[in-house]
Amino acid sequence: MSDARTVQPGDRTLAYLTLVPSAALLILLSAVPTVTVFATAMQDVGLGALSGPWVGFENFIWALNNGAFWTALWNTFVWVFGSVAVEMVLGLGIALLLHQSFAMRGIARAILLAPYLVPTIVAVLVWRYMFHDIVGILNFFLMDIGVIDRPLQWLSSTSWAMVSVIIVGVWKFFPFVVLALLGILQSIPQEQYEAAKIDGASAFQQFWRITLPYVMPVFILTALLRTIWTFHKFEIIYLLTGGGPLDATTTLPILVYQKGFVDFELGRAAAIAILTFVILAALIAVYFLLMRRAESKQ
Amino acid sequence: MTVTTDTHIPARAEPRRHRQIDDVHYLANRVMIYLLALTAVTVVGFPLFWMVISSFKPGSELYVSPPTFLPNEWTLNNYRDLFVQTNFPVYFMNSLFVAGTSTALSLVIGGIGAYSLSRFNFFGIGSFARVALICYMLPEVLIVLPLYIYVIQLGLADTLIALIIANTAFTLPLALWFMRSYYNAIPMSLEESAMVDGCTRLGAMLRVTVPLAVPGLVSVGVFSFNHAWNEFLFALVFTSSESKKVLPLGLATWIGQDNIYSWGMLLAGAVLITLPVMAFYLLVQKKLVVGLSEGGAKGE
Repeated sequence: MSDARTVQPGDRTLAYLTLVPSAALLILLSAVPTVTVFATAMQDVGLGALSGPWVGFENFIWALNNGAFWTALWNTFVWVFGSVAVEMVLGLGIALLLHQSFAMRGIARAILLAPYLVPTIVAVLVWRYMFHDIVGILNFFLMDIGVIDRPLQWLSSTSWAMVSVIIVGVWKFFPFVVLALLGILQSIPQEQYEAAKIDGASAFQQFWRITLPYVMPVFILTALLRTIWTFHKFEIIYLLTGGGPLDATTTLPILVYQKGFVDFELGRAAAIAILTFVILAALIAVYFLLMRRAESKQ
Repeated sequence: MTVTTDTHIPARAEPRRHRQIDDVHYLANRVMIYLLALTAVTVVGFPLFWMVISSFKPGSELYVSPPTFLPNEWTLNNYRDLFVQTNFPVYFMNSLFVAGTSTALSLVIGGIGAYSLSRFNFFGIGSFARVALICYMLPEVLIVLPLYIYVIQLGLADTLIALIIANTAFTLPLALWFMRSYYNAIPMSLEESAMVDGCTRLGAMLRVTVPLAVPGLVSVGVFSFNHAWNEFLFALVFTSSESKKVLPLGLATWIGQDNIYSWGMLLAGAVLITLPVMAFYLLVQKKLVVGLSEGGAKGE
């Protein structure tokens, strides 16, 4: 008798044959490079060279004693927490809004989710045009309604560059939060609200006592996922400011790029990349932990 | 903010005064929802509206202050210039080739690999799935350094092949993990009955399971294509000559060169890069949203 649940004679062969290409590619493109990057970080790689003599942890010590590393770490935290906090609040608000029924909701939904689908280079180009000191619509609009009295240097002043970069990041990525939360909002059993209404609960009480607790696990997981992804975002900052002006928006990924492919010091770049990855790995570990707990609760 | 207005039922037997208060509440609620929706749509949608509108403005109007809202004169010159004066068509074909090939690779390789990840549980297959997920979370900026070393050593610098391989490193784990959960949701009993009827496991997989998984494959395909279409860091590090540039890199190098590449051309280019992505999205809208929201909930 054939039975799909037990291991059949040909199954092992089939499993190996189907998995070998995937395994080979993952090993060649992820595992081996990870080992290589550790090896590179332990070498004193000369300018423009690909390898060099072993120096142990010297590159790491160099990075930890370097002001640029700590500035980049601080910038990364500002960028990550600034973006994720606004994305989560905005995402929850818009998800609650789209959960209501109103005329033309489909169109509103499509427009509100569109920025997530727009390629990063497109988001960068249109925002650069809007941020432009002289011909940008943003300065014109803000001066017209009297919020500012002279043009802001959105991307080219040290005080505004990070704010500008966060604005673009939030615009581009908050729809992900909306999508994640809309899914869970739709799964809340309606009976809970009906029971609450019979008991005379106000709209705010319904939100606080039913909606929020129900949404919370997914909310936390989404926030963590956004944190991980925002942490190693490179192109959006690189294309908007290049890490500047000075080092105002130089996050860790930007610093890795500058060390590796502008200064051509691969050893030091690798050391910074690994330090970045260590922080990220801690976040990923928390994510897996929470995910497992959420799964076991279901 | 209330959560369920659509279930609002005015109580019939209540005194008249209560009903009036209820009606006022209801009306205020509706007005607020529409105001909020209108504000949100305007603020979020404006940059895209501005991009499209501005791409039809003649050069002189793009540089005036204060800006004109709607173009005084609509023109297609920006689009024409893009094709006549620049390498935009080359970039476009390169992007299409790179994104298409790496999507096909990850769909075929990941699509069959994920079947085994879903159906079998021997020889550490479970942990293989988890490793795939970790690979997906590796930051590009960590992987780009060693891949750069290999690319130089293998003589693949400034080739599209290097880009295809590097993109696959990120789209394959996604395909494996997503398709595994998709296969998990397809009942085993279907394969079982096929096997009772004399199909081999491979036959059951190819004739029963894979056809049922086509919607999942479509979603993965869209994600992979989108990822590769968007990818910038590998392109920036691996390629440099004009004939090998993909769209994001090509357009990025135009920024700030106002004397050659006007804002009009850049914005027209931006519109054209967005079109394929939007077309794909409209094709698979329903499936995509489900997939995305599941991804948010479970990190898949």
